[in-house]
Amino acid sequence: MKKYVMSSLLALSFAVAGTSLAGDEFEAAWQAADDKRKEAASMKSEWRDTKKMLDKAKQVAEKGDMDAAMTLVAMAHEQAADGIAQAEREAVMWITRVPR
Amino acid sequence: MLKKYALLLGAVLALAWSSTYASPEDDRMAFENYFTTKFPGVPLNDFKNGIYSVDPVARADWEQIEEFPPYELAVDAGEAEYNKPFANGKSYSDCFGDGAVRGQYPYWDGERKEVITLELAINECRTSNGEKPLKWNKGKIAELSAYMSYISRGQTVDVKIPEDDPEALAAYERGKQFYYTKRGQLNFSCFDCHGTGAGKGVRLEKLSPALGHATHWPVYRSKWGAIGTLHRRFGGCNRQVRAKNFKSQGQEYRELEYFLTYMSNGQEFNGPGARR
Repeated sequence: MKKYVMSSLLALSFAVAGTSLAGDEFEAAWQAADDKRKEAASMKSEWRDTKKMLDKAKQVAEKGDMDAAMTLVAMAHEQAADGIAQAEREAVMWITRVPR
Repeated sequence: MLKKYALLLGAVLALAWSSTYASPEDDRMAFENYFTTKFPGVPLNDFKNGIYSVDPVARADWEQIEEFPPYELAVDAGEAEYNKPFANGKSYSDCFGDGAVRGQYPYWDGERKEVITLELAINECRTSNGEKPLKWNKGKIAELSAYMSYISRGQTVDVKIPEDDPEALAAYERGKQFYYTKRGQLNFSCFDCHGTGAGKGVRLEKLSPALGHATHWPVYRSKWGAIGTLHRRFGGCNRQVRAKNFKSQGQEYRELEYFLTYMSNGQEFNGPGARR
């Protein structure tokens, strides 16, 4: 009996640690994506849905679906990075469209 | 390969040089020429009618709509609001006289170093008289703007960029850059739709040409079921290409309005308008 109690406690502690690790990983990834979004915004190149994705990711994470939450964060991060690349490209290219 | 990139870079730099040193008037003439060449059958002074200048079918519908214009109620409401005294006994007429001042906006305020739009001036008139500012995009501010535009019909667009103030030119240039910059997940600039895309179809609608775009605001849009301001439309356009929109009456959209209205210099103000 004692053996079963010990192994159950051990399993529970691994599960709690796992959740916490996933939570930490999520928080770090979320913050990195949000920082990227703010960088895009500072270049006037934030995309419409990036913030919505990050808000949704938090809601999904609170419900415990960390895989879906991390997917949303990755998509938001990619959008923010694309917005930054777009702003850098357009800083040079916009002028090519001006009628002359 | 290296040669190819060098040639491309050279071409971009040459364009940058020629466009950087183009005056606003050079820009405007090239802009006008672009659209009159693209739509050779359209009289220059008809571009103020937007898509209806280049789409005969839509024009026929619009001419019928104009017999009982959907913005009429907004004009009436705007007139009543215009004549209603503020709590301090003053009214809009203390700021704008008879109200027929559409042709004076937007303008560069050399002391404040910023672009002043009609809607901004309306709210500043209110706050300077102890009233709360109105929301920017629709409702009373659009109704007031509709009334003031209606009684200003026929005034000529004549936006000025003071030559003795380099900051005015810088504001114009920022508005210009905004206009031609691709944004959002769909990677479109304003000009992609309303320049190169003008006259082409998007779903069931045709894209209007940019020449004359700033003349007929505010607009009653069937889609909105109400009258709304130019900055409301700017925000909608940005969101449609999946870019985050900017604040109405913020620096970005006021400078965009400054550039876009300058491009229509010589056209007539004919607001408010009716659009789908």
